[in-house]
Amino acid sequence: MSVTKRNDAGAAPSVSLTDLFDEKSGTISPAIYADPQLYELELERVFSRSWLFIAHETHIPKAGDYLATYMAEDPVIAVRQKDGGVKVFLNQCRHRGMKICRTDGGNAKAFTCTYHGWAYDIGGNLVQVPLEQQSFACLDKKQWGARQARVDSYKGLIFATWNMDAPTLSDYLGDAKSYLDLILDRSEGGTEAIGGIVKWVIPCNWKFAAEQFCSDMYHGATSHMSPMMAASPDTLPGDPTDFSGRQFRASRGGHGTGFFVEGAEWLWRVGQAGEHVSGFDIAAAEQRTNLHRSGKRPVGFSQHMTVFPNFSIFAGANTARVWHPRGPGEIEVWAFGLVDKAASDAEKEQMRLMTLRTFSAAGTWEQDDGENWVEVQRVLRGHEARRTLFNAQMGAGAPRGEDPTFPETITNAFAEEAARGFYAHWQKLMTDVDGSFSKAGSYADAAE
Amino acid sequence: MPQNNSLQSATTDIVEMGRTITPALQQEIEQFLYHEAELLDDRKIAEWVDLMADDIHYFMPLRTTRGPRDRNLELSGAHDIAYFDESKASLQLRLRKLQTGTAWAEEPPSRTRHLVTNVRISTTAKADEYEVKSAFLLYRNRSERQTDIFAGERTDGLRRVDMPAGFKIFKRLILLDQATLEANNLSIFF
Repeated sequence: MSVTKRNDAGAAPSVSLTDLFDEKSGTISPAIYADPQLYELELERVFSRSWLFIAHETHIPKAGDYLATYMAEDPVIAVRQKDGGVKVFLNQCRHRGMKICRTDGGNAKAFTCTYHGWAYDIGGNLVQVPLEQQSFACLDKKQWGARQARVDSYKGLIFATWNMDAPTLSDYLGDAKSYLDLILDRSEGGTEAIGGIVKWVIPCNWKFAAEQFCSDMYHGATSHMSPMMAASPDTLPGDPTDFSGRQFRASRGGHGTGFFVEGAEWLWRVGQAGEHVSGFDIAAAEQRTNLHRSGKRPVGFSQHMTVFPNFSIFAGANTARVWHPRGPGEIEVWAFGLVDKAASDAEKEQMRLMTLRTFSAAGTWEQDDGENWVEVQRVLRGHEARRTLFNAQMGAGAPRGEDPTFPETITNAFAEEAARGFYAHWQKLMTDVDGSFSKAGSYADAAE
Repeated sequence: MPQNNSLQSATTDIVEMGRTITPALQQEIEQFLYHEAELLDDRKIAEWVDLMADDIHYFMPLRTTRGPRDRNLELSGAHDIAYFDESKASLQLRLRKLQTGTAWAEEPPSRTRHLVTNVRISTTAKADEYEVKSAFLLYRNRSERQTDIFAGERTDGLRRVDMPAGFKIFKRLILLDQATLEANNLSIFF
């Protein structure tokens, strides 16, 4: 990729933005995970310009149902409207900035600030101001509603952005949509959210988590050896190279996914203490997906995926999550379970248990991810450590697009092609001073 | 519900459902809880899992911050995601994970200290089963400087058995006093 060299006004990171990631040599400067000034720039150029995941449609089914969440560090409220639509607005009173909603979710008739009493309806419109007649000469309440984000959804997933010039969500997802469909459209009626959002804090940079779910099947055999051994001691394959998989790098947008296509059927049962999710017709679900062609299919939903920048899914465990950034060295993970609407109650119950027992704060798989990222982040306190380049060369040069069943993939799930796509897009945004790159028109330009 | 009156002397028997919580029973159950905590803190997880009855339901729901209209939803429900929703089999799977030597979140292992207090005992309809509420403070320290502190309440179902420990746990409801979990994982037991 070619990037214009420039020193960005208003931010002086310790290294040049154009040197932070070099696709040609496959190297990453660890400063991107630790530098506070780069982090501030990310809030502006990555998070305020991208589509960010908000909620599943089924989190807020009825008018007035709301979920208090975040777009990066900004608190927002997502509310179901009477017309069935969803509004997402800043959780900040326009008077002195107090939160207008101090609870996690529920059903509301209005949001009343507990500081001076300004009240907003469920659409975020300012509707009541104490002492308005007596004390405000002329307050145009229409001008002082809560700050609205732009909202769009794709197959049950609600996203929002502050970038009014951004492409539609569908264009933003681009060719990653057909891989999202593997999860979101694998059975009649799509998905629904299991109740409850697990929230926990990991002292690590958000990109470790987002990149791993985007691109990294590689770490599984080492990081997650213990739950595999514990769940399937008899059927553990000796050599991960026996698995055949694919990895996909979105042609633009920084999204990525990877999955096995054969050799890993046993993955399906790892969450169930050896029990299969009985009755759930995996083959029928896979038939439905628009990637089921010529007899090839992802095995056991062993699919990791990231929608740039910070929304990830792991289909094998029915989990979806946002990695909310909290400074360069901390994230809040907000994870929820996804199940097929068409599944029976018994199947949903098995999926629920699988989700919470595998990929969750106490999950036998996810426990070990937290451990890795925390240790890496701690190492990056070191001056020399922050200057010592990371290797992201795996699978470089592998041909893409040779498999008609899985378009735009490379023929090995153990690769970092998707990671390079993630960082290439990140770098494009970070070096885009005026935001022109993330506008709808320029977005459809040449692939990254 | 327990009828323990805080003004009662510790030496006074507490009559509940026609049966009696004697100081001896109070001490016996407290000693059982201390023994259980010792097994966890000494990393004798296999022995700890043995204290769980075959029908154990080990459950830690999520907690959320709710307004007055939704306060009844503060705890996640039976069909929602929870931190833990475990059977004997799934606890044994967690044990096997720890025994592999490659469970990196606990290898090298955490240093833990389970403090158990505020023990309140109720009798139940079954003569050999008790409901025991306790408060806990769980300190975890691992690696070089990572420190996590968890506080909360447990409601246990204890069943008297003919074993040296005296009881098995057939129910454990754990209420963690946090909404956003202030830790990078839950690789330990409560």
